[in-house]
Amino acid sequence: MLPESHTAIVARNEHWTGLAASPPYECGWAREAVFFIRALKVPEGKQPDVSVEISPDGMHWVPEGTRIAMPSAQDEIAVGRISNFGNWLRVRADFDDGASSTVLVTLHLKA
Amino acid sequence: MQGMETSQVTDKAADQNMEEAMLRALRLSDPALSRFDPMRRIISFDQFSKGYAGWSQLVGNYEDSLDTMLPGYAQHTSPMLSTLSHWDAGSHGGAGSSYALKIATRPRIGAQNVAIKRHTFRKRGPIRFETYFTFKPEASELQLSETDVRSVGFLFDLQGGDSDQDAERVMPHLRFLNAENGAHLQKWQYKSQTSDFTAVGGSDKTASHYHLEPSGWLDLPGGAQRLCYNEIPTKVNWSYLRFDFDLGDMKALAFQCNDREFDVSGFESIKIPAMKNLWCMLNFAFFAETDVAKSAFLYVDSVCISGDF
Repeated sequence: MLPESHTAIVARNEHWTGLAASPPYECGWAREAVFFIRALKVPEGKQPDVSVEISPDGMHWVPEGTRIAMPSAQDEIAVGRISNFGNWLRVRADFDDGASSTVLVTLHLKA
Repeated sequence: MQGMETSQVTDKAADQNMEEAMLRALRLSDPALSRFDPMRRIISFDQFSKGYAGWSQLVGNYEDSLDTMLPGYAQHTSPMLSTLSHWDAGSHGGAGSSYALKIATRPRIGAQNVAIKRHTFRKRGPIRFETYFTFKPEASELQLSETDVRSVGFLFDLQGGDSDQDAERVMPHLRFLNAENGAHLQKWQYKSQTSDFTAVGGSDKTASHYHLEPSGWLDLPGGAQRLCYNEIPTKVNWSYLRFDFDLGDMKALAFQCNDREFDVSGFESIKIPAMKNLWCMLNFAFFAETDVAKSAFLYVDSVCISGDF
């Protein structure tokens, strides 16, 4: 059987402001992961970096170390590649007041 | 000649008996299948240690912009392959392997999530839907939290063939209403009405209705059931469920959960006029709903869908 490969849509058309994060995604079966973050609309204000976060339980989160610049224009895509992440993944961004982005966040996993 | 016809009938009956006996023996000797009682032909048999098996996010309809998607659908996220990993006891695992399909709601009162598998049918006859499932809230408190999950359930989305005179879109829904507003209710409910249809976009090609909105659920007569819940939020027990439905007359035939078989003579499905693009549709979906601002998790160990054809 071919190794599992899966695309999960973890945030679709979500308007991110303030402290924003994708929902926890449990994917301990995967050996590698790629996050794509696409701005669906023109981003407003200064765009922060996105941090990839990992977790022992899906509730408490720590930075994994990967930081990605948020897309600065509509339809621009930010990419983060991750391995050795345990069982849980999410991305998190802290927006300054007045800044926001409407995003499509997809997670691409391979066993 | 009459004797020959009688002999042919007898031979056919004998062949049928032989087939039934062989099928039964083969399936009972297979540890994975012996937990199920499939009808003659297995349409799909999903064990989530083998992957997602076609269970995907129920995405809402849209046209031109994702902003046209109804909010009920916009909240849905992708299902996961889970080891039921818990902060205090590690991976719980499934009933038959390390993995189960996990359907998680967002941590918001009343939030729902749905996973769906999409087929079409080749015979309008009886089908059987069997699964081993369990549910829990996110273990974010050191409390039993037995009333945090509002409901878990399943639905079919069906429509007759394009040459059928009686084709309708038929959507049987059943949910286990675990709790509502903090009250531990523990009963099975069905739904016979959906919300109004909303046109999506301007082309007249797409419409949408959120059939899982909270109103309109009716108690299944005799449908109270106390399921095994266990004693802390990270201990789960798997339950068996079977729902038989006749695609011929689009009626429920039987419903069983664990040791209880329920009377479905009063069960009604949502019925709406046939839609112009859904002929022979045979969709199956699981859903979860939270009663508090905490994620609810529905876990599905395995699913066996079979048909009498």
